[in-house]
Amino acid sequence: MEMILAGLMDSLSPVSLIYVFVGVAVGVAIGAIPGINGPMAIALFIPLTYYMSPLAAIGFLVGLNKGAFFGGAISAVLLRTPGTPEAAATTWDGYPLTDQGKGEKALRMALYSSVSGDFISTAVLVLIAAPLATVALYMGPPEMFALISLALTVIAGIGTKSISRGLVAASAGLLAGMIGTEPVTALPRLTFDIYQLESGLSLIPVAIGLLAFSEILIQLERLKFGVGDNEGARRFSDKPEDKFVTLKEFFANTKTLLRASAIGIGVGAMPGLGAPVASFLSYDQAQKRSKKPEEFGKGRLEGIAASEAANSAVVGASLIPLFVLGIPGNLAVAMLMGAFMIHGMMPGPLLFQENSQLMYGIFGSLMIASFFLLIIGRFGLKLFCKAVQIPSVVLYPLVIFTCIMGAYLGQSSMFDVMVMLVFGVIGYFMRKFDFSYVAFLIGFILVPEWERALQQVVIISQFDTFMFFRRPVAMLLMALTFFVVIRTFLAGVRKKD
Amino acid sequence: MAALTRIQRDTLAYVLIVLASVVLLVWVIPAYTPAYPGYGASPALVPNVAATIMLIMTILSIVRTMVAVRKGIELLAEDSTFPEEGEGTGFTQAGRLDIPHLIRFIVPSVLFVIGINTVGYIPSALGFMLLLQFLVGSRNPVRILVLSVVAVAFMYAAMRYGFGVPIPGY
Repeated sequence: MEMILAGLMDSLSPVSLIYVFVGVAVGVAIGAIPGINGPMAIALFIPLTYYMSPLAAIGFLVGLNKGAFFGGAISAVLLRTPGTPEAAATTWDGYPLTDQGKGEKALRMALYSSVSGDFISTAVLVLIAAPLATVALYMGPPEMFALISLALTVIAGIGTKSISRGLVAASAGLLAGMIGTEPVTALPRLTFDIYQLESGLSLIPVAIGLLAFSEILIQLERLKFGVGDNEGARRFSDKPEDKFVTLKEFFANTKTLLRASAIGIGVGAMPGLGAPVASFLSYDQAQKRSKKPEEFGKGRLEGIAASEAANSAVVGASLIPLFVLGIPGNLAVAMLMGAFMIHGMMPGPLLFQENSQLMYGIFGSLMIASFFLLIIGRFGLKLFCKAVQIPSVVLYPLVIFTCIMGAYLGQSSMFDVMVMLVFGVIGYFMRKFDFSYVAFLIGFILVPEWERALQQVVIISQFDTFMFFRRPVAMLLMALTFFVVIRTFLAGVRKKD
Repeated sequence: MAALTRIQRDTLAYVLIVLASVVLLVWVIPAYTPAYPGYGASPALVPNVAATIMLIMTILSIVRTMVAVRKGIELLAEDSTFPEEGEGTGFTQAGRLDIPHLIRFIVPSVLFVIGINTVGYIPSALGFMLLLQFLVGSRNPVRILVLSVVAVAFMYAAMRYGFGVPIPGY
């Protein structure tokens, strides 16, 4: 109890509050810009967190992610171009409302739904993460090895159109993550005798290259063909009923909000599915259960509530597998895992034992971020609407410049900038050839833990390959891994046939 | 580069990955992995497993593509510039490789990095920002100049005085 209070007090310190506030504000602004999403923003801003305390850093990045989730709705509603993939379903009812001059009302509904989903999900995270982590402590190296194998397979299978491509990408990520000093012999491995590689590839340049730089290269290509340039935002009606969401209108959507939050939590807690799945599923359910399904797609607030509450509920819930098992379920969480590692912490069940005060501080920051999102969204809505009007010819050079300087900032190393550029090119080709950079990055992040677990299994069992058969949980997880591979592969074959 | 059909694109990717996997298994991993120390798993085990998965999965994909071709299944040719744009999300990628476009942005970035070490941050960053804006299509000289100066000065101040990062100014 003492730890819980101390952690919560830490999250209320002025420095921590400022960072969370700034994180949310920047996140909303960035999310509003089409083509820039939460994980990309986290990758760009992680270098700054080197200079923050662990609590401020994680609070800032979580705020950034939460803000970006809502920010995505702004361009979805105003331009029919979702700022982030998960806001795609918001366009279906948001944009028709904008067409009717009710864009402000649609955005307010998106904000309140987003905050509701986020708050419920954060509450669930706070309530169940610590008890689940206690149970997870009983997992040994075989279970961890099997669990990471399963997580990689699920992410490889779902994050791409075919599991074979996903596994290729994840394996390439594993190989990239193995560059550096080998953990048992402490000798360099796969370094090509380049001494800068002996400490391994740093996450920051790899992530900036794969997520941000390559995305901008693609966006610039779209720009060249006249696709994706930002138009001006539409005008809002001045009538109060077209601007504000009344309490009656909000509470009329209570059921939808609760159902959407439950869907978001369920989807977020499972690795690999991600927020777009949650918002589409929730929208579909809302339409099926609505009294007026025919009004969906024509500007119904219920549709916005379903999409926004579900995708925002994913944010908190996706931290459950990270805090409980040390497994990042999606890209944004993988980036947060990287931030934990940069600050010398390994996410997983031990985090609650070794850093319990910090963990409760993070929980406090998560709740505060929800509150800040409401305040910032409520009072800064019109300002953030301007973000969608930033011309691409101004924005993209600034992002490229920030990518380069961000890669340099981490370790003041020009070698890291070159690594960023190399991974920018790799990311460009992965996108072009339809290989999952998500699977690559998660493989890259998870490989040290996966290999450590494997080494422990081999040393403990003394090469007894039947060890997994004596550990029912590990055996079940390995069986599930093979099941996922075979099922997804066969599904792919049937689809092609 | 002209737009590739999906089969052409996939085949090109698969051939490159098979070659890369073979090079990894035959040369890179044996040459750049420490010898087995006598306990635990070999340092080459996980890299070999990863490279083997890449190889097997790619060969399986080639077989699947060949079967599809033999059965006469038409995999759609990506004849429009952004063929999947119409699906509504706007998050699918282009169907063509534009190598000159890639070079246009990578080369100035590399030169900028070299420039920081040789002529210093301020002149090279200014030149880089001016060129970059021109390359993305900005033609307003005042805007180009103002944005370049502001961005370069802000970044320099933030690096030098905010984060205390050593950076050669000029």
